[in-house]
Amino acid sequence: MGGFFDHPAVQGGVAPFVVALVIVVLLQRFRLAGLAIAAALATVAYFLNGLTIEPLTVTRKIILLGLAAAAVGFLADALLAPGRALAAALAILGGAGAVWAFWTVLSQKPIAESALLGGGIALFVAAMVATLGELQPQPVRAGGAGLGLGLGTGVAAILGASATYGLYGIALGAGAGAFLLVQMVTGRAIAAGAIFALPAALTAALLAAGAMLLAQLAWYAMALLLLVPAAAFLPLPQKQPIWLQCFVVSLYTFSAAAVASLLAWHYGGRPAG
Amino acid sequence: MTKRFRLAAGIAAALLPLPALAAPESYTVDPIHTFPHFAIGHFGMSLIYGRFDKTSGRMTVDIAAKTGSVEITIEAASINTADNERGGRPRSRDEHLRSPDFFNVQEFPRMTFKGSATRWNGDVPATLEGQLTLLGVTRPVTLTVDHWKCGPDPRTGGKGFMCGANASGTIKRSDFGMKTFIPAVSDEVRLMIQMEALRN
Repeated sequence: MGGFFDHPAVQGGVAPFVVALVIVVLLQRFRLAGLAIAAALATVAYFLNGLTIEPLTVTRKIILLGLAAAAVGFLADALLAPGRALAAALAILGGAGAVWAFWTVLSQKPIAESALLGGGIALFVAAMVATLGELQPQPVRAGGAGLGLGLGTGVAAILGASATYGLYGIALGAGAGAFLLVQMVTGRAIAAGAIFALPAALTAALLAAGAMLLAQLAWYAMALLLLVPAAAFLPLPQKQPIWLQCFVVSLYTFSAAAVASLLAWHYGGRPAG
Repeated sequence: MTKRFRLAAGIAAALLPLPALAAPESYTVDPIHTFPHFAIGHFGMSLIYGRFDKTSGRMTVDIAAKTGSVEITIEAASINTADNERGGRPRSRDEHLRSPDFFNVQEFPRMTFKGSATRWNGDVPATLEGQLTLLGVTRPVTLTVDHWKCGPDPRTGGKGFMCGANASGTIKRSDFGMKTFIPAVSDEVRLMIQMEALRN
């Protein structure tokens, strides 16, 4: 049994998907199906990282921020009215979280380079949180965006020389895929909310930024991942069955993710050596 | 008679294999003759060898007192497994090794080993016990000294003095949080360190 769970496809794909599916099925009636993202992230983190947070590396900070985002999302859904102020606050929090996550690396660089990288990463993360946040009232679009973003981030990270970050990204996609699949099968939309959108956006953006800063992902391939949640705004056949809408939105977001991945492949990362 | 006695005593002292040093002596690691090498299993098919190209450090030895210590700093980004050209691939193996999957060199640019000689075979250190810090994690490591020699540096016409050593040991990379691709790429890593150091 140990050998089965050693396989990357299981650690980053099958196991997170199954756990997320259980979460969605059990918690959808409580409007907590969005915990699928946090559940998928926790599952892959258990396999790749274990339960330790020491030393507090960049990767562990990303995991902690992703899980914390689910808690913040839960509170936002429960206590706060959606609106521009909340969206802006979450985006700013996301950007600040990014600086905290990467601080140990940024602080080792010359000030000008550190400011440029840190500022760029913070902006990227904030933009991702804001864009995906706009989709949270629309669970089919949000699920499609999460699916495309997770898989796109995963593939881009692998092409950017980090299989670990790739597996984390793919696990996010698996979690969002489970969320989408239940909607397709039941024919009913399931509430997404900030509990889904915030951890999906924040974690994917941090993973992509990590693959850029710590591995070889080109910054423009990272930036193009913003196209993925943007693609989820494209028109859907609203009067058609939910499964078809899920399929169409996934097609949009996969296409956008493919653009970022192709760029990561063809133009590689920073020059070798 | 006295002159002949002094001459004989001087010749006898020069012929001794290793002078008994009366006090600790400090050495600086020679970076172009010091390389930590490693070997790691790849799919169980072969061992892949690599090394770190950039090392610095210092050593203190007191042979009379049978004490010695070494402090080595390794630049993680200098890892070299002879695969640094991408060809048609998105990244080379050495680039992958520098990524967060393995040595995460952007976050942890240096590894250190601080050890002391705890067992001696006569005037020769036999075992080094110390602490290796890798990826922010510090764990005890024991190295066997396979070879040790000290003597005049022939490049300086005997004016300088140097020591050289080879040491080996084994670690588990998962002990340091490096778990990527285990067991396809083995957890156990064999260490083989060559070192030369010049007396200050």
